[in-house]
Amino acid sequence: MMGRRSKFLWPLLVVTMASCGTSGTASNGADQRASIKLTLNTVRTIRSVTVSPGKAVLGDCQYGSAVTKTHSTADRLGFPNGICWFGAKGSKYPILIKNTGVASNIEIFGGNAIPSNGGASWSLCNVGNNPLVACTGPGDLQPGIDQYLLRNFSRNQPRPYAGLSNTPQCDRQFDASHACWAVHGQFQYEGVELIGPSLSSDSSVTWTVAITWMPTPP
Amino acid sequence: MHMRTCFAASSVLLAALIIPTAAEASIGIGIQAGPVRLSGAAHPGGIYSLPRVLVVNTGTQTESVVIEVERVSPGRGLTVPPSWVREAGPTVSLAHDQSSRIPLRLVVPATAKPGSYVSDVIARGSAGLAAGSANLGVAAATKLEFTIVPGAVSGSSLAPAWLIAGVGMVFGVLAALIYLRWAGWRIRIVRETPAGEPASGSTDDGA
Repeated sequence: MMGRRSKFLWPLLVVTMASCGTSGTASNGADQRASIKLTLNTVRTIRSVTVSPGKAVLGDCQYGSAVTKTHSTADRLGFPNGICWFGAKGSKYPILIKNTGVASNIEIFGGNAIPSNGGASWSLCNVGNNPLVACTGPGDLQPGIDQYLLRNFSRNQPRPYAGLSNTPQCDRQFDASHACWAVHGQFQYEGVELIGPSLSSDSSVTWTVAITWMPTPP
Repeated sequence: MHMRTCFAASSVLLAALIIPTAAEASIGIGIQAGPVRLSGAAHPGGIYSLPRVLVVNTGTQTESVVIEVERVSPGRGLTVPPSWVREAGPTVSLAHDQSSRIPLRLVVPATAKPGSYVSDVIARGSAGLAAGSANLGVAAATKLEFTIVPGAVSGSSLAPAWLIAGVGMVFGVLAALIYLRWAGWRIRIVRETPAGEPASGSTDDGA
């Protein structure tokens, strides 16, 4: 009877001891190395900008010619060289631009004005001493045929300047010292002024213009 | 009376919840601040996978992100022609605060001039164009840096070494088989009939 029991118990004992030995080796360990995992969280290094509102309707239009019956109305640009605003110099700056990322230069650029029928667009022009693309209107101070002038403004720089171009340039409205370096969270309220062409070769009455703000590396 | 008060309070609360959301509608885009840098040097005629560039929608509206290459930051180095860098995937659409890593491919022409190249990767949010209004847009830029050295392409980073070795091995075996066939080598498999067994097709009818 004992013999039959031991026949089953011995192997069980061997297995048990072997497993004890295994676990003992693991816990004592010839290899004394131990490690812990450390998790480190860092701040997000993103270069970003946020603009609100996303869309703007240019209004409060003025100027043009009453003689040719192309004077501006409140919400329509007149010819020649009517002016429309989004905001008002000295009082209203409806666009909020905020640096939501790491410190960066805030740059700004425009683009061609596109007619709704996909015809001939208006290109941006500049005034002043060294214009990127010179305005060819009266006295070279106003946009010529199929040209337009786009300027952003703020409390920091109420006086006119050369205007935006298709190439990104420092948004000098962004800082009181007229630099465009902005730290995280820095913001600026701005408005936009558009001076239309002396004449448009496209007869569309609906046009789209785009202005883009962009943070860039130093 | 109680119902009316309750309704009024609910309306005020609802308005308080909705109005700030509408007022805070914004467009925004972000890109990794660290430069996009190719590990190792590139060679003329090579095709390389650039490190994926992280973009994030920091605005409240959903944005489709377009990647462009343009030199906007100052510094020394040759300017990267925009046609050298291509998006390796489809255009990405991001909801508020959503981010994505966009794969980029650098295709260096065989005629590329050796030297250090610097430009910027620009993530542009394509806010919908609406006729009759000024569209205010956002973009964000980070530096793109790599070096081109003369010499043959040592293996595109698009194809790992094991894949190149595997494809090479398959072609090697195929070439060997074609050569053996062309040289007139034949491998013939003959099945021997065990002794005492009748040959296939014979009869044993005792006649």
